[in-house]
Amino acid sequence: MPTVRELTRQYMPEFPTRYCGTVYTDTTEFMDIGYGDVIAVGGYHYMVLKDECERRFGIEDPKFWVKRCRELETGERKILKLVFYEKFPIRIGSFTIQCHRSPGKEARILDLVGSDPRFMHGRSFEDVRGNNVRILDIVFGKRLDLIVQELEEDHPTYLRKTLPGILENYIGACEAIDFLHRNRETHGDIRRDHLWVEYETGQYRWIDFDYAFGFHENPFGLDMFGLGNILTFLVGKGDHNPADWPGHNLTTEDRSIVFGNRVTNLRRLFPDIPEPLNNVLMHFSAGTYVFYEGIEEMLQDLRPCVDLLRKC
Amino acid sequence: MKCKKILVAVDASDNAMRAVHYTGEIVGDRPEFLIELLTIERLPARDLFPDEAAWKTACENTRAELRIFQDKAAFALQETGVPGQTITKRYITSCHSPLTGDATQCSPGTSIAQEILQEVKNGDFGTVVIGRRGVSKAEEFLFGSVSTKIIHYARGCAVWVVE
Repeated sequence: MPTVRELTRQYMPEFPTRYCGTVYTDTTEFMDIGYGDVIAVGGYHYMVLKDECERRFGIEDPKFWVKRCRELETGERKILKLVFYEKFPIRIGSFTIQCHRSPGKEARILDLVGSDPRFMHGRSFEDVRGNNVRILDIVFGKRLDLIVQELEEDHPTYLRKTLPGILENYIGACEAIDFLHRNRETHGDIRRDHLWVEYETGQYRWIDFDYAFGFHENPFGLDMFGLGNILTFLVGKGDHNPADWPGHNLTTEDRSIVFGNRVTNLRRLFPDIPEPLNNVLMHFSAGTYVFYEGIEEMLQDLRPCVDLLRKC
Repeated sequence: MKCKKILVAVDASDNAMRAVHYTGEIVGDRPEFLIELLTIERLPARDLFPDEAAWKTACENTRAELRIFQDKAAFALQETGVPGQTITKRYITSCHSPLTGDATQCSPGTSIAQEILQEVKNGDFGTVVIGRRGVSKAEEFLFGSVSTKIIHYARGCAVWVVE
């Protein structure tokens, strides 16, 4: 097997030789693998450049099992996700539920979606110890929520001019999740920062599918809840805390069914929102007695709203 | 509708045992009633475990717990006076189980409520009994509720929900 020095000499001659590390074929001890090391898997070599980080609440949280790499043979940038099993509680409103990180689930979904442009792409291999290594293509784009947040237009203008296009694309993103459900898979972690807009094409793409839960009676409920949250964010051009809207006489029933600090009945704040669109949002409010049982049911209500917005 | 033919759907929860006790108290020692204890097996998903061995062990434990519960439920019914010969047990294994079994029918794992109702129909039961842990609207939205679905979708039978 070639050494890192030999590999860099051939594929990455600009790489400083003093940083050349070790070639790893076993990724079990992922904490030991860092800058200048090479992971050899699936017939390719991946130069590790850094550990991926998640930035939350202003703090960088390193994910040591996720490596930013360069595929030496092609020069392409890749993300390698190594096996890290963990079980941890996550809070959703007042509920705490057990979440499991599942490399196998993510690998299975990567296979399922293949080159479907509505999802991130990648493939997976086993290293010499049987550890699953997911090799992900980088989505060159920006988070949808950041794009919406940075729009400077006022809400009436946004509603009329920008939201119809966003909604049309978002419906496509919802259809993508419906595709997973019809294949008995869940995304598992539908939140704003997991939906990206590709720079080159404007395509909406879902990322990160490795969360798994043990719900039996309503396995797709969390995904549906996540889609409702994002929809509410998009229609409101951000989340809205009732405390920021005094004088609107907002009741408990106007708020999210799970998050008491979010307004779901947005028509109370923005009367221009067409009622049929607001009615879709109300399915996710504390006042609802009717839940959507599947994504297609929601989309049947949502699709006509695009034209309604255009006529606003 | 054979209202004296009763299906009691049980998992291994306290709610299920409350439903069993309630049914026993209502039926008592009358031999014209027939009671079936039905368990639709739900095993932990493979995705929650790092390897096959850990998953299989968890599934074995879950199956053992459910089977033992059925035995306890049958015993609890008899303690309330229900004749033993009027009680039957039915256990439908999961189609996604890593454990071997000799069952001819398995549960596809789509919706427990729908599967229970299918059994009600297939077995011509006039009454279905289920325990319920009071869930909030938000919990029902996120995690689902077997009893709410049964109330919603049941046709041609009585539904007893024991809370």
